[in-house]
Amino acid sequence: MIRQKTVVKNSTGLHLRPAGVLCNLAGQYKSSIRFQTGGGASSGNAKSVLSVLGACIGCGEELEFICEGPDEAEALQAMIAAVESGLGESI
Amino acid sequence: MKKGTSASAGIGIGKVVIIEEVELVIPNHAVSDTAAEVERFRDAVEKSVKDVSELAADMAERIGEKEAEILNGHLMLLQDPMLTTGVEEMIQTSSTCAEAAIESVFTMYADMFASMDDELMQQRATDMRDIKTRVQKKLLGIDSVNVSALPAGSVILAKDLTPSITAGINPANVTGIVTELGGKTSHTAILARALEIPAVVAVSGIMDEVKNGDSIVLDGGAGIVIVNPSEKEAAEYQTKREVYLKEKKELEKFIGMPTVTKDGVRVELVANIGKPEDVDKVLQYDGEGIGLFRTEFLFMDRTAMPTEEEQFEAYRKVAVAMNGKPVIIRTLDIGGDKEIPYMGLQKDENPFLGYRAIRFCLDRKEDVYKPQLRALLRASAYGNIKIMIPLVTCIDEYRAAKALIEELKAELDAAGIAYNKDIQVGIMVETAAASLIADIFAKEVDFFSIGTNDLTQYTMSVDRGNDKISYLYSTLNPAVLRSIQRIITCARNENIMVGMCGEAASDPLMIPLLLAFGLNEFSMSASALLNARKLICGYDSKELQAVAEKAMSFATEAEVRAYMTEFVESQK
Repeated sequence: MIRQKTVVKNSTGLHLRPAGVLCNLAGQYKSSIRFQTGGGASSGNAKSVLSVLGACIGCGEELEFICEGPDEAEALQAMIAAVESGLGESI
Repeated sequence: MKKGTSASAGIGIGKVVIIEEVELVIPNHAVSDTAAEVERFRDAVEKSVKDVSELAADMAERIGEKEAEILNGHLMLLQDPMLTTGVEEMIQTSSTCAEAAIESVFTMYADMFASMDDELMQQRATDMRDIKTRVQKKLLGIDSVNVSALPAGSVILAKDLTPSITAGINPANVTGIVTELGGKTSHTAILARALEIPAVVAVSGIMDEVKNGDSIVLDGGAGIVIVNPSEKEAAEYQTKREVYLKEKKELEKFIGMPTVTKDGVRVELVANIGKPEDVDKVLQYDGEGIGLFRTEFLFMDRTAMPTEEEQFEAYRKVAVAMNGKPVIIRTLDIGGDKEIPYMGLQKDENPFLGYRAIRFCLDRKEDVYKPQLRALLRASAYGNIKIMIPLVTCIDEYRAAKALIEELKAELDAAGIAYNKDIQVGIMVETAAASLIADIFAKEVDFFSIGTNDLTQYTMSVDRGNDKISYLYSTLNPAVLRSIQRIITCARNENIMVGMCGEAASDPLMIPLLLAFGLNEFSMSASALLNARKLICGYDSKELQAVAEKAMSFATEAEVRAYMTEFVESQK
C-alpha cells in the first residue's frame, strides 16, 4: 500500500466534470484507489464519482490518495499527476 | 401579466403545452428471487445508459459539446459503483424490489447533494432525481416524456424541466419556454440560449394559471409572460417579435465587418469583461479585443489572496483566447466599499474618495501589487496584454507603478522568464484631477481609457447609487462633455491611443460626439457591440463635427439631450 498527498487547484473545487475525469482515470487501474481529505476527516473510493462529489472537495484542499494492488505505483503516480494538471480544467 | 427571470432573449408567441412528469407509483414488495431482481435492475440501468448515450451524442451534434456535458454527467452517475452496488446490496439483503431499492438509494444521494452549501453541488440533486425517474420508468415500462414532436408554435410550460426532457426540444416547433422554477444559470436557461428559444424562468405560480392550449406571449429579454393576452396585447407582441427578429438579423450582418465610419475612420470596438469565461461572448459578438478586464473577481468571495500563479493563469487564458488582439487588464480596483476580510481593509467613511485602487496597491506593494504585476508581465508572453492603472490622480502614482513594473521586469530577466518587453502601460482617466492634467499624462503614459462612470460621478460630485440625486448623473452634462473632449484632444496631440470603457461608449446619444471628438477605442459589454458597430458605420465623422460643435454650445444637460436625441432620430 502506498500513499501520497496533493492539493486541489481547480477554482470551483472538484465538481462533476473534474470529478468525472478523476474517476474515469481511477477506473483504469486494477488496484483499489481510496482518497482522504482534511487529514482523514473524510475518505472515499476514487473510482466513484458520487464518493468524490460527496466529499465536497474545495479549491486549495489537501487530497491524499491511498493505492493498493498490482499496479499501485502507476496508479498513484497517474492520480497525482492528473490532479496537479487540473483534471481537464485550466487552473 | 407575470414577471419572472429573463433566461433567453426574444419574443415567443404560441399555444401552451404543459410538460409534466407523471407521478410514478413506486411498487414496494418483497421479491423471492433476488438474483433475478438484481438482473432486472442491471438491465434497466444498461438500457438507460444506452438512451442517455444516444441523447448525449445527438445533443453534441445538434447543439454542442458543452450542452451535452450534463448528459455525460448523468452517464457517469448512472454507472457509479457506489450507486449500483448500493441498490444491489439492498435487493440482496432485504429482498426489496428494484424500484423501491432505487427510490431509497438514489434519494439518499439526491438529499446529500441538496444539503450541500455549494450551488453547483445542489444542482446535482436534480440530476440524481432525473436519472432515478429514468431507471424506474424503464422498470415500470413507462415511456419518457418526449418533446421532440410537439406541434409547431408550442410554448412549453413546466414546473421545472429536467435535462432529460430539455435534450429533446426542437427549436423548429418550440417558440418559447416558461418554467415556474429555475434560474439564469439553470440547465434550461443555458439550453434555451444555445437554441435561441425565448425563455422566462422562475415565474412564481404560473402553473396554476395555465391549461393546455391557452394562448401565451412572452418577452424573454424582459422576463414577462402574459397568459391569454388581449387582442391589443397579442398584436403588440406580434410587432415586437417582428422588430426583434429584424433587428437581430440586421445586427448579425455586422459580424465580421470592420468598424469604420463612412469617411474611412477606423476605430477599435472592444469589450468589457469581468472573468475569463466572458471571452466566449465577446468572440460570439465579434469584439476586436478587450478594452477592460476587471480583475476584482479574482479577489472576491474567497478567504485568501489569490496566488501569483492563479492570477497568471486567468490573465494568460484571456490573452490566449483573444489570439493577439489587444487585452487591456486593469489592476486591482478595490476599497472600503467592498468586504474582503483577508485584505484587512477598514470601512472608509468615504470609500470612493478613500484608500482604494492604486492608492491601496502602492501601499501594499509586497503582498498585493507585485504579485499581480508579475502575473500580468508573465502572461504578456502569451498575447497582446496591456496594463491599465485605475484611479490615478497625479503623475507620481503612475511613475511609482511604472518603476515597480521596471523592477519586476529586471527580476524576470534575471530569472530568464519570458514577457513582452514592450508591454504598454496606460491609465484609466476617471478623476477630475487626471482630466485636468491629461496633457501632462499624455506625454508619459502609453494610452488612456476614459472611465465615464467614475468620471461623471467625480466631476458632478454625485453618488451614482443615490436615487434622490440621480438626475445629476449624466455624461451629457456640459461639464462632463468638456472633460471628455479635453482628455481626447490631449491624447491625440501626443499621438497616444484614447479609449472609453464606461457605459457612455455604447450610448447612442454619445457615440456621434465621441466620434467627432476623435475617440480611438470604444469598449462596452459584449451584447452592445454589434449595435455600436452599426451606429458607427452609419456616420461620417466630418459631418459630425458640426453636430458636436452645436451640442457643446448648450448650457444645460437637458438641451444637449434634446438636441442629440433629435439628431439620432433624424438619422434613422
